[in-house]
Amino acid sequence: MTNNRMRWAGIACILAGVAATAAVMERPQQRRLCKRARQVHIETSRAFNRSSALLAGSVLADSAMEHYRGSFSNPVMYVPPLVATFSILAGLHGGADRHAQTHTVRHAIYWGAALTGLAGTGFHVYNVMKRPGGWNWNNLFYAAPMGAPTALLLSGALGAAAERLRNQPARAPRLLGMPAGRALGLLSGIGLAGTAAEAWLLHFRGSFQHKAMYAPVSIPPAASALLLHAALTSPQPRWLARVMLRMTWLVGWLGLAFHVRGVARHHGGWRNWSQNLFNGPPVPAPPSFAAMALAGLAALRLREREPR
Amino acid sequence: MSGDPQHEPRGKNGRAPDVLRVGGWMPMREYPQNEAVDFAIVGTGAGGGTLACRLAEKGFKVIAFDAGAWWRPLEEFASDESHQKKLFWTDERLCDGEDPIKLGNNNSGKAVGGSMVHFAMVSLRFRPEWFKSRSILGYGADWPIDWREMWRYYRIVENALKISGPVTYPWGPKRGRYPYRAHELNAAAMVLARGAEEMGIAWSPTPLSTLSAPRGLAHPCAYRGFCVSGCSTNAKQSTLNVWIPRAVKAGAEIRDLAMVGRVAVNEAGLCTGVDYFREGRWQFQRAKHVVVAGYAIETPRLLLLSANGRFPEGLANSSGLVGKNFMVQSNQAVWGLMDEEIRAYKGPPSLAITEHWNYADKGKDFFGGYAYMSQGPLPVVWTLTQTKRGLWGEALLKEMQHYNHQVGLKMVGETLPQERNCITLADEKDAYGLPIARVTHAYCDNDRRLIEHALDFMGKALDAGGAKDIWRETDDTCHLNGSARMGSDPRTSVVNADGRSWDIPNLWICDGSVFPTVGGVNPSLTIQAIACRTADRIGVLAARGEL
Repeated sequence: MTNNRMRWAGIACILAGVAATAAVMERPQQRRLCKRARQVHIETSRAFNRSSALLAGSVLADSAMEHYRGSFSNPVMYVPPLVATFSILAGLHGGADRHAQTHTVRHAIYWGAALTGLAGTGFHVYNVMKRPGGWNWNNLFYAAPMGAPTALLLSGALGAAAERLRNQPARAPRLLGMPAGRALGLLSGIGLAGTAAEAWLLHFRGSFQHKAMYAPVSIPPAASALLLHAALTSPQPRWLARVMLRMTWLVGWLGLAFHVRGVARHHGGWRNWSQNLFNGPPVPAPPSFAAMALAGLAALRLREREPR
Repeated sequence: MSGDPQHEPRGKNGRAPDVLRVGGWMPMREYPQNEAVDFAIVGTGAGGGTLACRLAEKGFKVIAFDAGAWWRPLEEFASDESHQKKLFWTDERLCDGEDPIKLGNNNSGKAVGGSMVHFAMVSLRFRPEWFKSRSILGYGADWPIDWREMWRYYRIVENALKISGPVTYPWGPKRGRYPYRAHELNAAAMVLARGAEEMGIAWSPTPLSTLSAPRGLAHPCAYRGFCVSGCSTNAKQSTLNVWIPRAVKAGAEIRDLAMVGRVAVNEAGLCTGVDYFREGRWQFQRAKHVVVAGYAIETPRLLLLSANGRFPEGLANSSGLVGKNFMVQSNQAVWGLMDEEIRAYKGPPSLAITEHWNYADKGKDFFGGYAYMSQGPLPVVWTLTQTKRGLWGEALLKEMQHYNHQVGLKMVGETLPQERNCITLADEKDAYGLPIARVTHAYCDNDRRLIEHALDFMGKALDAGGAKDIWRETDDTCHLNGSARMGSDPRTSVVNADGRSWDIPNLWICDGSVFPTVGGVNPSLTIQAIACRTADRIGVLAARGEL
């Protein structure tokens, strides 16, 4: 493929990600329906499907762009954008699906995404370790990023959890041998902490040159800690955790705007988009916070309703 | 854009170019010629530009003069090595001695901002022991300044320029974190790293004065690679786009295209101002103090040119040391070829460094130290390097085909101060009718042993890094220092630790010429640190009424 066509492919991937994001946004009317039917766990499943899709959207745009920058030098570099696309489709489908039953194809896709993410982490670790200096800051900053494939793993895990939850009874559903709300709270809390860790590494690389760069390394970790606390202690209403998770959701979308602005601060700004999209802050990255916040809020809702 | 900056001054009519905005201007204070300003500074490079800023910020009335043009990087810096020669000081000079040096691209600058406009951005601190190299290491001369004080000023300069450096630096005492993170390494830097690891010595990403993240209106580095031809994106943090805009904001006046030809001294033996050539005529600016900051050739030249009945041997020259102890840094290299494409010219030229032989004292048969860095020569410089080797015609063409695969390591080596290496005045005159400088230089045996050690070690390291067909470039020099050294004894130095001349209390020197020794690192950071220290000392002395 010529450079130009690759470039358009990259744009198409980004647009797909944006479209997917728009599609998975929660619709209030449906939520009311679900609540009326007391199908809280199905509502949670659907939220996790959507969250997984949004996260996969980030992964699709990010991996397509970054692997394009790496000239797809290894054919396996085509895999993550492909798998992420399937993960988005599964999430869109699951997000609209009210059946109280695991969907085999979706479930398989999610497992595929998780395994791809795991393998990708291996590839990226290898890429870091083979460079001079090995495990040092410069390689962590600029070699294949550790956190990126983990996002695909997380997207798969969120989706798989959603599918397994659908097979559980409406009353006191369980996952991994514990109350489902606790399991999902732990999963999304840990995922959120990991996402914040990656943001810290890359914002540290950017020397926190803008004050807003502190937001994703302070609000999401606080939300994560509160969510983990809610998951591990006895169920009760947790308004502070909910507020912090909503703020995390906001951080994700404001981050997108800040990153768009960040690209403009590079030489030539958006007029030189074909270079600055790659040199500037990653535009598709911040919405992964919104994805994790959606999952976290759904997990919290479920957890708050669990018997003491 | 307005006019030709090499013929029409830009710093006038109450405004100065705002180099961070296309076509932008900023208001600039102007001082009348017949009113004595507090400080007239000759030169706006790492020494003069920095000092002008810090003195203006302390509330002094400052005018800084520069013979060069006030460029707008965003509009006037081309990706063209030949065109960018406009940044170099190419006025006539005579070079002689056993090892005559070549002046031009890597050791001189003629522009507002001085040679920092085209410096390679390498921003290193001296090894602490070098400030006492005579008493601790047994060679050269002691500095009259304590290293801990210098390290405080290094920190100030690193913050001012937002140096992009490694999270931890492998050599020397612990230092605070660099303000910005180190840049991504290019393939040439990786070769240095691999070689160093094979040789069992430490290496590091180089602390560089170019942004790895945005800073205000300055863009982060785009890895264009034309750093030593002038940075067209303002990623390079230099006197031109950091210190001088700050100076102008603080009330300093910068006069571009103003060649100072004489420092005037009265009957009482005090400076009264400077004669300068601007807009086709000689003019006089009155000043209470004069600071000479013209770098290691022009500073002694101006002091010698200003000789008069009262000071027949030149100003500040009772020790006879003005122009003496002129030091270069050895800049030899080893080059080779890699099988894979390297494209060494991508990004800043010196992304990786090892200072191992600056800090190790065992296994040396010489005094002093050296650092070596990865390299990224641009095509014209690279062609000249090849022709210097004797290649021409078919052979040169063939060698140039390997340009994308060539890789090299280049040293910055310490040379010892020698009185026979000196700046004197020649009989020939320049375009202003002033006698030109004669630059006399010879290596001593110690310098040669250091160079031999470096070439040998770098050759092994390049081989260990995977290069083949390795050859040596044996005759390059860089960075000029000494020639008006500071010290604690008026008999053996020209200025004291504050840069104040022993002979004339209102004459100061602030640039690389005050270095008693050069060390094995690029000098710009140290020059700026000294300028910041000089400004602080002037502030203290003024408060005490001792100016």
